Amino acid sequence: MAERRLTNHIRTLRFHAGEMTQAELGERIGVTRQTVAAIEQGKYSPTLETAFRIADVFEVTLDKVFRWSEG
Amino acid sequence: MNMAYREKIAWLELAGQVVAYGGFFAAVIVAERMGGVSLLLFIGLFAAASVIRMLIEGVGRFVIAARSGADARVPADERDRAIARRGAAIAYYVLMAGMILVGLVMPFTASGMKIVSAALLGLVLAELVRCSIIVSSYRRGWHG
Repeated sequence: MAERRLTNHIRTLRFHAGEMTQAELGERIGVTRQTVAAIEQGKYSPTLETAFRIADVFEVTLDKVFRWSEG
Repeated sequence: MNMAYREKIAWLELAGQVVAYGGFFAAVIVAERMGGVSLLLFIGLFAAASVIRMLIEGVGRFVIAARSGADARVPADERDRAIARRGAAIAYYVLMAGMILVGLVMPFTASGMKIVSAALLGLVLAELVRCSIIVSSYRRGWHG
């Protein structure tokens, strides 16, 4: 089976949300700035709850933020 | 380097333990080779190592908190907690192995002082493993 990994478009979504900072996003979803950076870099997979919170902030569906794509 | 506050604390704890208990075990080994370790010397060395560790961590935590600003006051988030759980879970096995060795094997093969030293070594190794897992999980990533 091909290896798959979680990718995300948070950096792009932040850009389109008026260059929202990682700290600002972190504050809105209840995690630290470093955790937002880790999620963006694929070093941490957030809980389902945090994933939905991120999608809520950008007012998009979950699949517009995260993708389960082939590595 | 964009380091999380709790990663800095883990580095500090790691450094404090390596310096303090590394020095302690080195001194015990040297004393043992020079004619044996008395109980008084052993307790004195351990007390000195513990004070050094407390000083390193106390001063270090103060400096890190001062330099981290608001980051130091933010409670641990889900990633911090997941990484802390991973560190504790892996260190638990090291601690169990050490305690089995000390409590079930060494009483039949070693003297009291060696058993006490081995017990302390087991505790220190478990703590070192915990801090190392935390640091590497922050550096290399951990998906919970």
